[in-house]
Amino acid sequence: MRRFTLLTLSALLLSGALAAQDAPDPGGVGGAGLALKAAKILTAAWEGPQVVDNGVLLVRDGKIEAVGRARDIEIPSDYEVVDVGDRWLSPGMVELHCHEAGLGIFSFVNDINDTVYLSNPGMRASTAVKPGNHQLQMALAGGVTTVLFIPGSGSNIGGQGVLLKTAFDKYEEKLVRDPGSMKLAQWGNPESWTIGVEMAFENWNTRDTLRRGIAYAKRWQAFEAGEGPEPERNISYDVFRDLLSGEIAISTHTQLYQVVLMTLTMVAAELQLPVFLDHSTVGGWLTGGLAQELGVPAIVGPRSVDTTARGFINWARNKHEGMRGVAAGYQERGLDMIGFNTDSGIIPQEELLVQGAMGVRYGFDESAMQMVRGLTIVPARTARIDDRLGSLEVGKDADILISNGHPADPRTAIDIVFVNGRRAYDAERDGRRW
Amino acid sequence: MRRSAPFLLGPLWLAAACQGPGREAEILESPIPELTAGQSGTALTCSKVLTMDAENRVLNPGMIVLRENRIVYVGAPIEVPTGYEQVDFPELWAAPGMIDLHSHIQATGWWDTNDMVFPLNADLRVRPALDPWEPRIPVANAAGVTTLFGIPGSGTSISGFGTLYKTKTAGGYEGMVLKDPGGMKSAFNFNPQRGGGDVGNTWAGLTWNVEQLNDRVAARVDEGGTGDWQLENLEAVHRGELPVLIHCASAEGVAGVVRTWKCRYDTTCVVSHGSWDGHLAARFAAENGVPVNHGPRVLNFDSMIREEKIQGGAQAYVDAGVPLFSLNTDAPVMPQEELFLQGSMSARLGAEPYQMLQALTIHPAQSFLIGERVGSLEVGKDADVLITTGDPLDPRTRVEVVFIDGRIQYTRRDGAQLY
Repeated sequence: MRRFTLLTLSALLLSGALAAQDAPDPGGVGGAGLALKAAKILTAAWEGPQVVDNGVLLVRDGKIEAVGRARDIEIPSDYEVVDVGDRWLSPGMVELHCHEAGLGIFSFVNDINDTVYLSNPGMRASTAVKPGNHQLQMALAGGVTTVLFIPGSGSNIGGQGVLLKTAFDKYEEKLVRDPGSMKLAQWGNPESWTIGVEMAFENWNTRDTLRRGIAYAKRWQAFEAGEGPEPERNISYDVFRDLLSGEIAISTHTQLYQVVLMTLTMVAAELQLPVFLDHSTVGGWLTGGLAQELGVPAIVGPRSVDTTARGFINWARNKHEGMRGVAAGYQERGLDMIGFNTDSGIIPQEELLVQGAMGVRYGFDESAMQMVRGLTIVPARTARIDDRLGSLEVGKDADILISNGHPADPRTAIDIVFVNGRRAYDAERDGRRW
Repeated sequence: MRRSAPFLLGPLWLAAACQGPGREAEILESPIPELTAGQSGTALTCSKVLTMDAENRVLNPGMIVLRENRIVYVGAPIEVPTGYEQVDFPELWAAPGMIDLHSHIQATGWWDTNDMVFPLNADLRVRPALDPWEPRIPVANAAGVTTLFGIPGSGTSISGFGTLYKTKTAGGYEGMVLKDPGGMKSAFNFNPQRGGGDVGNTWAGLTWNVEQLNDRVAARVDEGGTGDWQLENLEAVHRGELPVLIHCASAEGVAGVVRTWKCRYDTTCVVSHGSWDGHLAARFAAENGVPVNHGPRVLNFDSMIREEKIQGGAQAYVDAGVPLFSLNTDAPVMPQEELFLQGSMSARLGAEPYQMLQALTIHPAQSFLIGERVGSLEVGKDADVLITTGDPLDPRTRVEVVFIDGRIQYTRRDGAQLY
């Protein structure tokens, strides 16, 4: 991003230099080439073949260099060859709703919820990142290689999320993009921290803040096009410049049919901001047809189902019908961008895969690898990082899982995780963590 | 017709009913349009039809023909073109669906009806809180309530904009909405008199607050508005395009509402509640042509001290000549399904029963600028029809079938009656 390109570049150079000193991993930046041979490769490309049997995947300098059938790919002689036998390769998973890259939401200090004001678009979750923390090490062992670490939902606009790799100890090395998103909580938490605020006021406050931010970003666009004076810098609204340029999207804590409908009709259709539905449970799936029309993805969780009337969940729309799978609800209404989240640590970060599996249990059709895609390419596209992440395709980061079966099956274990071409986790080498 | 009583004057109904066929016999072409391919229609024949139209027609028997979502014929039973489904209810009555202009059941429980950060909320709308699957809605429907004005509570003096919606279930927002915003909710005395440290703790402070904002809008409304997106809907109120419903009670409250919203700003305004001794200001409201939407309290005990009687509010307002008098439940203060009972109780306390039927149907529709769509059984209007076992004001009457927009929303079944 504008503010971080230089930093990121220097970080890459630095890590490259350090790696060079310590005999870098084959596949990593500065290391030798790496060739992975596997019985099955799930590419999860947005378009094109999804599965390669008896495949080879070449990695060099942290990037995927080639992927295809063994008979079509020539392995250069100086590459280290790792034959994983019957095991499968699949892309590292991408979590778009993580609260565990800092101290953790159940720690004694809450470092991602500032609840004095309702709108805090200038606050950055990146300031709370604790590299190398235990939760992210667990995430890595669970196959989650990238997370969007976001502010909590204690205020209407909680601030900016940051996209991080779960591997590595240094912030600069972990960083994928900052800001990774802007967090909006439309309803269902912000009202708990203040008096007199209910659904209609939160909706008004959201519209008010978004309109101010759009106006600010448009003043900058006019200035950059030579059509206006240089605006006064306001760090509270800078994030809207990234939203208007389409580089990031709004991650929206939204749930209940009527609230999700406002996310779609107000944020997406009326204000024309890039946005995706987060949670989007408790009847939200009833808007699936409109979400597809407007091209708004849904990243569902941590609740996978609407249950029959039971206390809090009495808000659900299936009071008389029995359990309803949320992901299946969106799918039946034609939405093609459906992913999963854990809202970690509501659900432990390492259990992202189980979130997908539960979606399938409650009716989500997996016949075309929709679940694996919902954990990889769909969230990558949603967060607008699919040029780098989310699938095993040439030119993308070599974030690769090696598992002993289909990753959609909870009985499957993840044995090795490569991140940026480096062997970041190896159950045999490090001891199995999950 | 205001003081006439068709319910008690059987021969008048008969005369009205006989007029129909006489006229129709001279017309060779059927007044009922043919169905085109793909259209559906229903012809309902009932022993009595309360049209609630401008001539106060009551048909004995009568026929209502629905095509798609509209009424295409109301009159004496005649031959129906092919394709229409014909249903005869030889023992049953038909009436238009009932309308409640003061309802808060659009949101779950008591939540999400009162946003009370600022005293003036001209851009708040109930839409984000409107839950189409709220379980009280189908119960209201089963009691014959087909149109609701779902509004914010009275915690602030400009409380926001409400939605006019049909009590349809399972169709989602688009399927139920009649008009959004349907109008504005304001609240004058008692509830909105705030102790929050801001101005408005007194009647004087509250009025100052409201008039300060409205003066700003009124001054600019003829020059294309203020340009402030947060005031767009309030500007529509000042242009007379959106009505405003104002919570108030007691005589000074009713008089204050008339003074501010009618005499000062000349809006399409409707007094709501108007309870306690509000009826003492009834003549002032009538002189200024301001309709009253009365309830949930429909009587005044205070008058017992002065006059040794309970005063029915409805009778007092109607007798004073208030136009388009209507009744409300303020649901869930009174259960939404008991709207008809507000009419029954008002009649018990001295109001004219037929006028109380008007107060539940055509009057709320006309006072809220939706009289072209709902409130009576007339050609061209929405096909919202109740089929009942008798007079809708009689608590012993059962609602058998409810049509909304030409489709059956509710059918009573033995052992599974919703209300």
